[in-house]
Amino acid sequence: MTIKKSILSIGFAICILTGCADSYHWKASHPSYHRAPYGGIAITGIDDAFVITRSSWFAKRLEISADSIQIKGTTHCRNTFETEMRKAYGNLIVIPDSISRTSPEESLKLDERIFIKGHIPEQGISLKDSAGNVPPLVLILHEFIVGTDLKRENFYDYALIHNESGSIRKPDNVSAVFSYTLWDNLKQRPLFSAVDEIQQPITTYKLSNLTNLIQLAVQKIRKNLYEGVSK
Amino acid sequence: MKKLLVILMFLAAWVQASEVYFDSRFTLWKDATIFIWAPNGDSPINASDFCHSLRRNNTGIGEPKCRELGEWERDSIAKRYGNWLSNNLEKDLPSTFLRARHPGMAAKLQTLEDNIVLYVNPLDKFVQVAIFDETSQEPKAAGIVKMSNDKMALGDDIASTFFDKRTKRRLTKEERLKQQTEPDDLYKEVPRLRFWAGTGIGYSQAHFPLTPDNWTSSHTKSRVRNYRITKDSVSLWNFIDDADPFFAIYAGLTWHGFIGIEFLYRYSNRNMKIDNADTVYRELDHWDFGQHDVGLNVLLSMTYPITTWLDITPLAFIGFQYSFYNEDISLKKGVKKPSRAYQYRVKFEDLYKGALLGIGGQFVFKKHYGVDLRAGISSRGRDIYEAPSPDAGKAPTTIGKSTIDCFVSLGFEYQWTL
Repeated sequence: MTIKKSILSIGFAICILTGCADSYHWKASHPSYHRAPYGGIAITGIDDAFVITRSSWFAKRLEISADSIQIKGTTHCRNTFETEMRKAYGNLIVIPDSISRTSPEESLKLDERIFIKGHIPEQGISLKDSAGNVPPLVLILHEFIVGTDLKRENFYDYALIHNESGSIRKPDNVSAVFSYTLWDNLKQRPLFSAVDEIQQPITTYKLSNLTNLIQLAVQKIRKNLYEGVSK
Repeated sequence: MKKLLVILMFLAAWVQASEVYFDSRFTLWKDATIFIWAPNGDSPINASDFCHSLRRNNTGIGEPKCRELGEWERDSIAKRYGNWLSNNLEKDLPSTFLRARHPGMAAKLQTLEDNIVLYVNPLDKFVQVAIFDETSQEPKAAGIVKMSNDKMALGDDIASTFFDKRTKRRLTKEERLKQQTEPDDLYKEVPRLRFWAGTGIGYSQAHFPLTPDNWTSSHTKSRVRNYRITKDSVSLWNFIDDADPFFAIYAGLTWHGFIGIEFLYRYSNRNMKIDNADTVYRELDHWDFGQHDVGLNVLLSMTYPITTWLDITPLAFIGFQYSFYNEDISLKKGVKKPSRAYQYRVKFEDLYKGALLGIGGQFVFKKHYGVDLRAGISSRGRDIYEAPSPDAGKAPTTIGKSTIDCFVSLGFEYQWTL
């Protein structure tokens, strides 16, 4: 027992020394995730997930007053997200956050150092939409951070989250960092979870660019849901 | 066609038979208390019958107590997890995916103490079985057994599939408390100094195992003629026997369980390899040498506590030694005057200096009684530096300039710590 522990700790030490801790796993699939959602899906979390950082920068570019950029910007993102998902999945059900966010916030491990934080539904209780139906698959959007030059490891690697960014300089990219989980609502288990990052080079920034960012994000989510299927 | 049907039926029976999905070797206590938890309240087995099944299938289980876990059956958190588990219990799914996430459920599992929860959930053709204990929030073992309406047969099936293992004595309350407050072995303090002293026996020989014979045969097969003549005198093994047992006493200490020093003394008796064909030896009764080695080793070691009563310390050592040869020679009774050759017989150096190198292990029982195994190589020779001189060619050759052998030893020692 002790030998096993010591071997593990030696292995861990070797792992740190050789630097293999630096390669992250940003996705995790359940062994029973065999079929990506097709045609229909439910989404939840989109009311509260969106956050805009550097709001004054965005307020200036998008010509929205600094007071209301958070509300107007995130609402725009939310609506674009819903529209894009609706284009992709004909039968889209939106479950309001008030239903899905009743459970406590929990962490979901993707990697030794990467943990998603989110409201994960309880074991044994299925989410219901406002009509009382039980959708089989729910995409839970935990967090969607819009900002400039963001790196996902600064948000999700627990060893780096207390690092502060340097002086504010002229940004190169508008970025989105977002985490989500495909939830098996019938068996109450996470089928696929991921943290994604999108970098969008800045030329002139308008609201259409923000719309485009969300479109790219939805494309990325759909691509990952297909690729994440366990063989 | 009939044959195929039989095969199919056999296959069907085989598929339906009990199957263990995973078993992480949970601790089965002697006189165990087993809580039978049927999440929907309709247990397919009977508590007292199951106890009989346990005793029939595992003679070491003593007197188990079984009862239905009513308080979980009426608890909505446990019920939700129970139903969830039933939905998620699949073949080839590792137990980590079955963890109980709800804090209330986790708390229930953590407060089980040394009781075992047996989850039984009857489905149409089989019964889902999972076993929980206090050490984990996920099942320790899970699988299915064939459904049967005969509660006794079903209990036997479960007992033989999941409870057929060695049992351990249950700890008393005080022992449990002590175990909980005991520090992790990994963080256990290493004694600052560890001493040992012991005696041992060993065996040394010039020929290294697994090496070609001809590397050393010129030395080991050599014979001494006329009290001093050999083909070659570079090794002492040209003159005296190399393969002999030795006796050892030693004492040492280790600092912080890592680096140590050890003093050792070894004695062995070496017979002269006289050439019996030589008639000059007719006067000789015996001729041998007592070999005394005094050495000092530096050790690098690491101690692994294997069980509470056994620690194993693998070690490597490097050191130096001085060897002295004490001649023991006598003529037969009645020989008045020894031959001339006897008077001018070979003389060894007063002192040989050499090195020791090897590995070993100390097996310490009950923290004090150690068994020490070593293997290594040792050398003896002259390494005193002499300035080159024009007379070097005339100087007599040093006998045994390069005397190398290997050894194994077994020691019995007493250890104590500071």
